[in-house]
Amino acid sequence: MKILIRDAGAAKVVDVEGDVDLGTSPDLRRTLFETLLHAPKMALNLAAIRYIDSSGIATLLEVLKDSQRRNKQFVLFGLSPAVQQVFHLTHVIRIFQVFQTEEEALGSA
Amino acid sequence: MSLEIRFVMLSDPRYLPVVRGAIGPLAAAIGWDESDCRAITLALDEALANIIRHAYHNRTDGRIELECREVADGLEISLLDRGEPPDRSKICARAVACDQPGGLGTHIIKDVMDTVSYQATPEGNRFAATKRLRKTI
Repeated sequence: MKILIRDAGAAKVVDVEGDVDLGTSPDLRRTLFETLLHAPKMALNLAAIRYIDSSGIATLLEVLKDSQRRNKQFVLFGLSPAVQQVFHLTHVIRIFQVFQTEEEALGSA
Repeated sequence: MSLEIRFVMLSDPRYLPVVRGAIGPLAAAIGWDESDCRAITLALDEALANIIRHAYHNRTDGRIELECREVADGLEISLLDRGEPPDRSKICARAVACDQPGGLGTHIIKDVMDTVSYQATPEGNRFAATKRLRKTI
């Protein structure tokens, strides 16, 4: 798994590539929690994720709750059909703010 | 003659991609479409992750035996470990569609597979699951 963090105005964009599973989700968790501290908004790009399991979804839920506690925004974009399938199987798709493109994700209030 | 895959692996997450790389093509060869193959792969991965996390408490030296077998009407999966037996009260205990991060895996397994069982045997903890291939005419 590769993680890249970019600035987009005041927001941070996190690009993730590869597999997010039991072995790699702790690294993603650390990065997202750390990045969230430095911006009012964080957008996670899931377009290059080949695989995500429930530990990856659990990580995103933890980060979402942390963002809400800190009055910050955590949004997702670029979900492939494979990633969308896991969100549906775990019944959490409606809990997140999900956008198709980075532009839409960053433009959301 | 049908196809059967056997792995004996350590409870190390590094090996999960190896298993995922084998089960998807097996499911495709049996006849499932891409979406079902992904779901079956995810269900098996979740079952293995549960063994690593809960039976072996993230120790990476536990032994896991895996068998995936093509049968007349679909697929049988069997996992055997010698870790702590599963706490049945925690299996699928999480409310569906809530925002709590834990307990998602057992729901995925139950939703994807047709039958799921957890059994304590003299050899260890046995997880068994089946999925039937529903052929359309």
